[in-house]
Amino acid sequence: MLTTPEKIAFILLVLVCGALAFTGFRRIFQIVGRGKSAPRTDHLLARVTRALVDVGLQRPMFKARPWVSLFHAFIFFGFSFYLLVNINDILEAFVDGWSTIGGGPLASLFNLLSDVFSVFVLLGMILLLLRRFVQQPESLRFNPAVKLHPKVAQGWIKNDSLIVGVFILLHVGSRWLGTALHLAERGAGDPWLPTASVASRLFAGMSVGTLETGIHVCWWLAMGLIVLFLPYFPRSKHLHLMVAPVNLALDKRTPRGELEKVQDASHPGAATLTELPWPNILDSFACIMCNRCQDACPAHASGTSLSPAALEINKRYFINEHAAELAAGNGSASLLDFAITEEAVWSCTSCFACVRVCPVGNEPMTDIIALRRGMVFAGEMPDEVAEVLRSLDEKGNSFGDSARKRAKWTKPLDFKIPDARKEPVEYLWFVGDFASFDQQCQEVSRTVARILHQAGISFGILYEGERSAGNDVRRVGEEGLFEALAEHNLETLESCDFDKIFTTDPHTFNALKNDYGPYAGASQYDIVHYSSLLLELLRSGRITLAQPLDGRATYHDPCYLGRYNGGFDAPRGIIGACGVDLVEMPRNRENSFCCGAGGGRIWMKDQETLVERPSENRIREALELGEIDYFVVSCPKDLTMYRDAVKTSGNEGKIEVRDIVDLVADAMGLGEEEAVA
Amino acid sequence: MKLVVLMKRLPDLVEDLEVDDSGKALDAEFLKFTLNEFDDHALEEALLLKEATGGELTVVAVDGEDVDKMLYTALAKGADTALKISGTGEIGSTSHLARIFTQSLADRSYDLILTGVQAADDRDGQLAPTVAAMIGAPCIEVVTGIEHEAGKLIVRKEYSGGVLAEFDVEPPAVLGIQAARQTPRYAPVSKVRQVQESATLETVTLAADTGKSFDIIRMTPPETGAGAEMLGGVDELVKVMESKGVL
Amino acid sequence: MGNDILVVAEHLGGTLSDTTFELLGMAKKLASQTGGSTVAALIGGDDTMLSQLGAADLVVRVGGGEIADFNPEVHGAALEAVVAAKQPRIVLIGYTSMGMDLASHLAVKADLAAASFAIGIEAGDSVVVTSQLYGGKMNVTTDLGSGPCVVSVLAGSAPADDGRAHGPPASEDLAVPPTAGKIRFRRLIEPEAGDVDITAQDMLVAIGRGIGNKDDVEVAEALAEALGAAVAGSRPLIDAGWLPKTRQVGKSGLKVSPKLYLALGISGAPEHIEGMKSSSTIIAVNTDKHAPIFNFAHYGMVADLFDVCEELTEIVEEKKG
Repeated sequence: MLTTPEKIAFILLVLVCGALAFTGFRRIFQIVGRGKSAPRTDHLLARVTRALVDVGLQRPMFKARPWVSLFHAFIFFGFSFYLLVNINDILEAFVDGWSTIGGGPLASLFNLLSDVFSVFVLLGMILLLLRRFVQQPESLRFNPAVKLHPKVAQGWIKNDSLIVGVFILLHVGSRWLGTALHLAERGAGDPWLPTASVASRLFAGMSVGTLETGIHVCWWLAMGLIVLFLPYFPRSKHLHLMVAPVNLALDKRTPRGELEKVQDASHPGAATLTELPWPNILDSFACIMCNRCQDACPAHASGTSLSPAALEINKRYFINEHAAELAAGNGSASLLDFAITEEAVWSCTSCFACVRVCPVGNEPMTDIIALRRGMVFAGEMPDEVAEVLRSLDEKGNSFGDSARKRAKWTKPLDFKIPDARKEPVEYLWFVGDFASFDQQCQEVSRTVARILHQAGISFGILYEGERSAGNDVRRVGEEGLFEALAEHNLETLESCDFDKIFTTDPHTFNALKNDYGPYAGASQYDIVHYSSLLLELLRSGRITLAQPLDGRATYHDPCYLGRYNGGFDAPRGIIGACGVDLVEMPRNRENSFCCGAGGGRIWMKDQETLVERPSENRIREALELGEIDYFVVSCPKDLTMYRDAVKTSGNEGKIEVRDIVDLVADAMGLGEEEAVA
Repeated sequence: MKLVVLMKRLPDLVEDLEVDDSGKALDAEFLKFTLNEFDDHALEEALLLKEATGGELTVVAVDGEDVDKMLYTALAKGADTALKISGTGEIGSTSHLARIFTQSLADRSYDLILTGVQAADDRDGQLAPTVAAMIGAPCIEVVTGIEHEAGKLIVRKEYSGGVLAEFDVEPPAVLGIQAARQTPRYAPVSKVRQVQESATLETVTLAADTGKSFDIIRMTPPETGAGAEMLGGVDELVKVMESKGVL
Repeated sequence: MGNDILVVAEHLGGTLSDTTFELLGMAKKLASQTGGSTVAALIGGDDTMLSQLGAADLVVRVGGGEIADFNPEVHGAALEAVVAAKQPRIVLIGYTSMGMDLASHLAVKADLAAASFAIGIEAGDSVVVTSQLYGGKMNVTTDLGSGPCVVSVLAGSAPADDGRAHGPPASEDLAVPPTAGKIRFRRLIEPEAGDVDITAQDMLVAIGRGIGNKDDVEVAEALAEALGAAVAGSRPLIDAGWLPKTRQVGKSGLKVSPKLYLALGISGAPEHIEGMKSSSTIIAVNTDKHAPIFNFAHYGMVADLFDVCEELTEIVEEKKG
């Protein structure tokens, strides 16, 4: 029970701090509202339910860093319960005679939980502080070239962490200590407050006056502090406890592989903060600056200036610095000035790892796509990108080759692949640029053709009627060209008679399956990746493996088949069926590490900051598994990337990069000679 | 400054070119047209000049397949006006084309006409000096840099071996561009599509005297591998290098 | 119209170009077909140059040192005057930077039939010219009729030695015609000295459009390093900024004649051929078996340049130990 002056002081504190905090929160609302529109308010009930379940189970946390996530769960559950504790403590302070100590069963349960959770929070917080300040993990540092807000560079994230950590320790610690003092005052422990009872023995024999003073001090340290802390919330990363659930609820619900359309064709993408869609602005408030996205980022791992974490953090520090202007609709600083370097924008492989791993539902990758869209529209892009886009526009392929030569790879085959534009086929094979024009991939394409031919499958290709599906075009930010390519391809498909489409290239697969979705008529197509098709043919017995192989292989999940489209099992099934032992790399399935080719990167030169190519990093990972015969891939780009990486990392002869279809062909007994014929 | 860029499409040399049954012309079935790459450089140089000194930029082309897109692309890059000439009939020669362009510009004022230094099908000469001679303007070919200074132009012309000559040129003049100061920019399709909706092409119908035209007797691809002894693999290549004493 | 063949002598920095002699050699042959004589137009030249033009029956000199530096306007007007005075049947001009300023100008002003990119000329009742068009992918033969004509000839279309003869030929002077002065010569700018002088190399690894992106230049550089050669390139690569200007081979670049010219991914446009055709051994690697480069190379190979580069680099390094 507080004294009257204390009560008045607390109420005044609540009013002043509450008003300040309100201003802060209103500003956040205004700033987020300055963003461009985005369709995120459908299915509200489902959104809220899923977010509550995810937060309640701490599900997004456990995608990475299990120990840290466990400590976080301690704090999360404790803090959530502390909502009740705080209400109770206010009642205790203002209502005469209110106390849960020695109360009924409900009060006792409350006491037990508050006692246990207090210890959980304190333990979790101390461990996290030790991690950050004593262990100082590498993952909390940025590459030297990463652009950082001056305050971030000065170490303000650490300061913020320390303030928040000390606040939590003081808030929960004081409350726990206060309870112990209460018990000491009563002169007896309480079995429902086991840890506080133990602590209370320390104060045995103290005068009632001393104990009473201690109780008041602890109450103020617990409750006064939290009120005092309210205005700091909107500026602190601790805000995540409020914004993260909202952010998770307002997630993009369309398929991962479908980018959101450009809203305003005359002004596509974003150059400034408030030109971003509002969910991307909200992201920076949800960000807890844990750098998990950076850990997963292939561009950061290769030494470049791209850190998705730094992007969000810089946005947040910029907002803190310019909140009033931004809320008023001013502030037109380019994101390139404070959030991210131009090099970093072009370093992104669009692999989705950052979005997938983020525990608070942030999508830094889509900021980068928005930036690229804006830059491409303004004509600012690397020369190589311009060159490739020109080729794609004029010739429909990224190789600068004649559109008529798209099916030239079929010439060495001893049979003719039906022209799906001229005759009905069961499967329409959308081959894709790399599988059609790259010499190494052409061999794989021919193997696919021979296997299907041998199995008696009815399939055809579009010959020069096919153009690049535009997956990477869209991801370098050339939305107009993507649309043109999609329109052409859909028109061509419309005129053909087929049951299903299959693709060899996961990028093509993703474009047809997801990006083409919103375009009229596209969703009716049944699209499979050749890994699924081959597995189906194996299972149904249309392909028989006469000479099963042996040896050990590891498998690389292509981003656009695995993480984007959940195609994890079919390739593994094929490898198993061929008789090869599969040894997984530590980073597999959802957590697969990008080869570095996506998002148009395959067209661009290495960044100057590059230390190790993602593909070389990956080959190193595979070699660390011990004796591995095959590095198996199921993507034409992977084939070229990893064959190069084996050479450039000086590992020639140590591991052989093979497409899944090569394994099938070998196991079927289709010899090399036939491949040449 | 009022700038004009003359643009022309050419058979895309990435394609396999074939001779038709007459033995005197390219087989149209296998032709795909693309903007003469030097004209693209001329456009880029004109855009850079416009950006540096202000002014108005008009692009001119003779109608044909994909010409609309080519002109809209030029508008999307920053040209102010696009003029499309139709009704010309088949263009038989550089001098015919030059007559058409000259006539289309007859009632327009301009300070500088830019076009590509050459085109891969220049059977009877280059466009820039032909147009210049017809309108009586000074002309420099193989230009790699233009500056505009106090009413005159400072033009750099390239000789072999990378030697450059610098000239003062009094406008109006015609320049044949070898290379712009920077790689020709890319016009995003989104922008081209937008321009297509908001801008219109000026069109003019005219027929020009074809001038002197001369018969093609025959067109033949140069004999393949006439001089070259074809090697089957790198090992053979190594042997050749050894026999020549370079390895 | 007479039966004479007029050759425009070209010079830069006080030296007559090789093209001049190639054209003189060609002109002598044509003159024997037409029964006329070989006339050279020397505009802004000096006595030394005159003494080198012995292959001509007559040299018409217009001006001297005062117009030594090429000026399209002045030299164009001078050539018009020569043609007006001599009325030749065929005017031969090199398809060079200077020649391009003169040929089409003359064709319009003197109302001559014209042909460009010429690699061969026959003079009978009418003049028949074969031009190398479409980046060297087609040879087109045109009948220019019986009237006077001007032909721009690709460098290297005839041996220069046929046109070299000493002893001053007969000469006559023509006054420099007045011009409006719309073009004024300012200065010559010599190229900045490069890291490597590709004209002095025994071996060149030359790359062209077949190189897909800038990184791939490294593959060629690795091979060049292994061979002890230098990397050179065709114009598109230099324009793209992937190689410095000092490495450019061809019409607007340098003329080279190494012992070995390894042309990787170079299609063989006439402008490039001009710069390397006198190399002792030319080996061309290209994925396109129809690439014109194979017409000029001594050895050819249809293959991907990266595969060849890598394999060859390995072999060379092995051989060196």
